[in-house]
Amino acid sequence: MISTVRKQKGIIMRQIFTRVAAYGALTIFPAFVLAHEEAEHAKTAEKPKCETMSSMDHSKMKKDDPLMQAMMKKCMKTHAKQSEKESDASHKKTEVHNKEDLHKH
Amino acid sequence: MKRVLFTMIFLLGIGGVGYVVLGLYPIGADVPHTKLTYELLEFVRERSISRASQDIGVPNLENPDWLLRGGADYNDMCASCHLKPGKTESDLSVGLYPKPPNLSVIHTDHTHGDPSVEGQARRQFWIIKHGIKASGMPAWGPTHSDERIWAMVAFLQRLPELDPEQYQILTARGEGQHEHH
Repeated sequence: MISTVRKQKGIIMRQIFTRVAAYGALTIFPAFVLAHEEAEHAKTAEKPKCETMSSMDHSKMKKDDPLMQAMMKKCMKTHAKQSEKESDASHKKTEVHNKEDLHKH
Repeated sequence: MKRVLFTMIFLLGIGGVGYVVLGLYPIGADVPHTKLTYELLEFVRERSISRASQDIGVPNLENPDWLLRGGADYNDMCASCHLKPGKTESDLSVGLYPKPPNLSVIHTDHTHGDPSVEGQARRQFWIIKHGIKASGMPAWGPTHSDERIWAMVAFLQRLPELDPEQYQILTARGEGQHEHH
C-alpha cells in the first residue's frame, strides 16, 4: 500500500519536473533564436558591387554627404579586404616558390 | 417620437451585433474595408501613433555608419513588403491588406502625422519598434536595440533618393562590414 503511494508520488513529481523543464526551455529558447543577428546574415550576404560607383554621376556627389561617405566607406573596406587577400595569396605563392627553389639547391 | 428613435437605435444595435455574430463581415485580406471603416481605422492608428511618439527624442541621423547598418537591416527585414529602388511590387506588397507603403518613393500627396523631418523620423521609429496591430507590421523592438532601429530610420530618410546601384552598395552585408561582431 505504502509502496503504491510512493510510486504515484514519484510519477507525479516526474510529471511536474518534465512540465517545468519544458516550460523553462520554451521560455528561454526563443530569446536565443528570435534576435536577428547581423553576423549570421554576413555569412551568406551578397557583396557590394562597388564597380558600379565609377559609372555614377560624380558631379551630383558631395564628399560631406553621409550617403556618399557611407558608400565610400563600404567600398574602401571591401577594396582593402580584397587587396589584403590578394597580397596574402601572392605572399604565399612567393613562399612556396622560394621553398621549391631551396629544395632544388 | 422618443419611442420611435429609441426603437430605431435598438434595431440598429441588434442589426450590428447580428452582422458581426453571424460572421457576415468579410475579413479576407482580398476584400477591402468600406471607405468609412478604412478611414476610421486610419484615424485611430494615426492618433495613437501621434500621441505615443510625441516625446521621442530624435538623434542626429546624418551618420554614414547608421546608413550602412540600417540599410542592411532594411534589405533583410523590410524590402520584401516596403520595396526597394527599381521594384514596384512584390507578392507581399500586393497580397497584404492594408497595402504596405512603398518606402522607396516620396509620398508628397499623402503624409501622415507631423510632416517635419523630425516628426516623420519619430513616427517611423515608433512604428518599427512597436509595430501595428492587424496590419502585418511586426514590432521589432523586442528583438532589436533602439540604436539599431534608429539606424533603419536614418536609412529611410535617404531611401527615396537612391538608385538601384546605390541601394545595392549600401545594403549588401558582404565583406567589409561589422567584422568586429
